[in-house]
Amino acid sequence: MSVDKEKQFDEMLGRALRQHSEAVPADFTKRMLRQINSAEEQRILARVVLQERLSLVGCIVLGIIVLVVAMAFPDIAVSLTKQLMGSISKIDQGIEAFRYNWQFYTVFAGVFGFVVYSLVDLLVGDS
Amino acid sequence: MFLADEARKKQDEGWLDKLLAGDHQAFAEFVEKYKEMVFLCCRTLGLREDEIEDAASETFMAAYKGISRYRGQAKLGTWLWRIAYRQGVNYLRKNRRGKQLLAEQDGQLADSKEQMPAAVVHSKEKEKIVWEAVGRLPRLWAVATVLFYREAKNIKEIAKIMRVRQNTVKTYLFRGRKRLKELLAEVVGESIDVGG
Repeated sequence: MSVDKEKQFDEMLGRALRQHSEAVPADFTKRMLRQINSAEEQRILARVVLQERLSLVGCIVLGIIVLVVAMAFPDIAVSLTKQLMGSISKIDQGIEAFRYNWQFYTVFAGVFGFVVYSLVDLLVGDS
Repeated sequence: MFLADEARKKQDEGWLDKLLAGDHQAFAEFVEKYKEMVFLCCRTLGLREDEIEDAASETFMAAYKGISRYRGQAKLGTWLWRIAYRQGVNYLRKNRRGKQLLAEQDGQLADSKEQMPAAVVHSKEKEKIVWEAVGRLPRLWAVATVLFYREAKNIKEIAKIMRVRQNTVKTYLFRGRKRLKELLAEVVGESIDVGG
């Protein structure tokens, strides 16, 4: 008998709690979507700002590297310039020079590539 | 009948895929479907009227950010209950009411012993009286009770939502039920043994 009453009480409790309906503002979903859209815009804006900053850092790094190389290794800078100028007609010499200084050229090409990417991204990136 | 169930299942799966992919329309449906549940969680935790909507918004924002990580290990409703519960508790902590909740968790806080006033009992429908009685329980007992009796969650799911041991949930439910019987003695009739 007592078990029946316990069961009755549980059923009454469950039924009464299920009947309860929670009052929610009618435009809650709309407002929520507006908030989400706004958060999404903020996120995209933050990503664009980050890209711009990276591009700027790339430009500054290139300038500094060029200056440091020109000041610390004037011979290399001069020879590099000469080699670049004459590289069109002296491709074989260029290849020869590359063979002796390939580490420097590799680093330079990497940095140059990064800077070109940064510049392209800066000018034609996300609008 | 079977075909209708299959069609609904496929439709639900399609909706879930869209939801996980960040589709706004699917998320709007998600909010529409679960908003009442989230409000209920916040209210049961004892948030003030002006705080409930903010906490619910924060819950859905957290759900939006985290939906891509949902792996379907728990039901979507249980997963959202967990977020709503965490947001509600954080809200209470932020507003310096977390100490009361922690005290309840440690079992230090004695619940209100007075019975529902007769005037309240006679003036309202049973559903409202029961809900009012639940509102008089310590928050954690109330949440466990609502999850068990209204949302039909099992002990394991409630333990996951509330981040407590299953035995703790059983204790909350036992004490909550016992207290409710005392509070509702007049509604359900004197014949029910209040001793638990």
